[in-house]
Amino acid sequence: MTPAILVIGELREDKPTDASREAAGVARRLVGDAPVMGLLIGSPVEPAAAGWCRDGVDTVRWLAEPPAGGRLAGALVPSLLALLSEGSIELVLLPSTGFGRELAGALAARWDAGAATGVTAITRTAEGWEVRRPVFGGRATETRILSGPRAVVALRPRSFPAPEPREAPAAAAVQAVVAPGPWAAGPTRIGSEPVVSGGGPALGDAPIVVAGGRGVGSSDQFRLIEELAGALDAAVGASRAVTDAGWRPASLQVGQTGRTVTPQLYIAVGISGAIQHVVGMIGSRVIVAINSDPSAPIFKVADYGIVGDLLQIVPALTAEIRRVRGR
Amino acid sequence: MEIAVCVKPVPDPDTRLRASPDQRTLDPEGVKYVLAGYDESAVEQGLLLREQIPGSAVRAFAFGPAPRAPEILRSCLALGCDSATHVAANEPVDDPLVVAAALGTVLGSRPADLILVGKQALDDEEGLVAPALGALLDRPSFSSVTDLRWSPDRARFSFRRSTEVEVERWEAPPPLVLGLQQAWNDPRTAKLPNVLKARRMPIESVPAAPGAAAGRSVPLRFDLPAPRAGARMIEYSTPAEAAERLVRILREEAKVFP
Repeated sequence: MTPAILVIGELREDKPTDASREAAGVARRLVGDAPVMGLLIGSPVEPAAAGWCRDGVDTVRWLAEPPAGGRLAGALVPSLLALLSEGSIELVLLPSTGFGRELAGALAARWDAGAATGVTAITRTAEGWEVRRPVFGGRATETRILSGPRAVVALRPRSFPAPEPREAPAAAAVQAVVAPGPWAAGPTRIGSEPVVSGGGPALGDAPIVVAGGRGVGSSDQFRLIEELAGALDAAVGASRAVTDAGWRPASLQVGQTGRTVTPQLYIAVGISGAIQHVVGMIGSRVIVAINSDPSAPIFKVADYGIVGDLLQIVPALTAEIRRVRGR
Repeated sequence: MEIAVCVKPVPDPDTRLRASPDQRTLDPEGVKYVLAGYDESAVEQGLLLREQIPGSAVRAFAFGPAPRAPEILRSCLALGCDSATHVAANEPVDDPLVVAAALGTVLGSRPADLILVGKQALDDEEGLVAPALGALLDRPSFSSVTDLRWSPDRARFSFRRSTEVEVERWEAPPPLVLGLQQAWNDPRTAKLPNVLKARRMPIESVPAAPGAAAGRSVPLRFDLPAPRAGARMIEYSTPAEAAERLVRILREEAKVFP
């Protein structure tokens, strides 16, 4: 029998995020023509639901955020459990974002399910769900079987193709809103600031990241990194040397004590390639290194390298990208 | 304030990774298991809060087999934790939900105002233990937490949680379970006299409750990437030429750039 799947999606600016769309596509591929239930967290927006149905889900429900006005995984679990038993669900798919991982852990613990996060491939086998996931900061990959009757799998963003739009069935309407269960009064979200990102997209989910290191030389010269990122619509990252020196805020740090990023393209400028930095970016699809030292370890992990004075190379690269993009 | 810190023994970050003979897991032969990564920040943050809040205690908990779990508990004692409890398993268990269930059983009978966990382990990077512990103990849980403060007048914690696009500011009363990303300081290192003293301190050992869930997440293969060939270096005579060649490669060969 084909298993029933629930996909949990996140919204940004009233649209399912790319990672949520990828999850819908994965669910559709896993079950063929069998139904896929979708659940979006937030206030109902009909076009979002219709778009998500074209990505692969058949029905869409909504789960309101708790009154505290922020994402509290534990508070959503009671309603999720009710939904799961109603739909005889065996597998829950969701994006492996920070919140997705919190929800995966809280839900799996209460649903008595196996779970895996950061998953980059999933298939159905006779033994259960076979998942692949990078471990040790991308230095190795493990394959596991989630063999129980229930599983929660968080999918790493941008590791799966964007779904091909399909004809959404007529039944794909917005269904009842599920209310979050009661939650002991307590946590209150008192505000938020956008991640300081040097004006471009957020570091956490940008398809291109341009990162600078100690070799950039100074806070002033770090503007060259930001200009290159601007030309590429990329996020700006930094090595620890840069954030420790106060040239740029700690929120831009990539590496062991900062963020782990997995963009399509990572351009490392003036970064020597210490292992503490490399573990935060080794999962990138293509890595370019620009460094004045031909023996810098970054060239061992990069796909393409340029040895030279970054003060000359980076502006030339920015100009060339502007030229080919016609701006 | 009672502060519990849960730590996991992980391979020393400098370990050269090798697959076990059956190719299913990391080969543990010769691997040194240590306190590392976000868990170090969790211990550090617990100790910082204890310094700030009179009458507090920081109690370390580790699940796993001997000797690796008691060894990292020794490190916690050397850093200044008040007590250490080994939740003893006979075999290494690498299913985070089994770990959370075993820790949750012990912590359920020893109510802490604050449970600190590294936001993810340095080896498996699952990030499931903090939210699972919160759900099992029915307490609010947050991960990717930085800037954790205690406000005694208001009897609330304040902290930040990083998401992909923003940094949220939260306030919450105890009890809480937090997956820590960063303490205020870089984690301290233990001083030699304290390391020696920690050798003589007791480590409590309690058996892990038999986990109904064991065997639900089973390792099948541990693959190491083919060694990277190293970067293909771009030859050029002028910076403009270097830029032009790189952009052409990125568009036509790597196809990462529109």
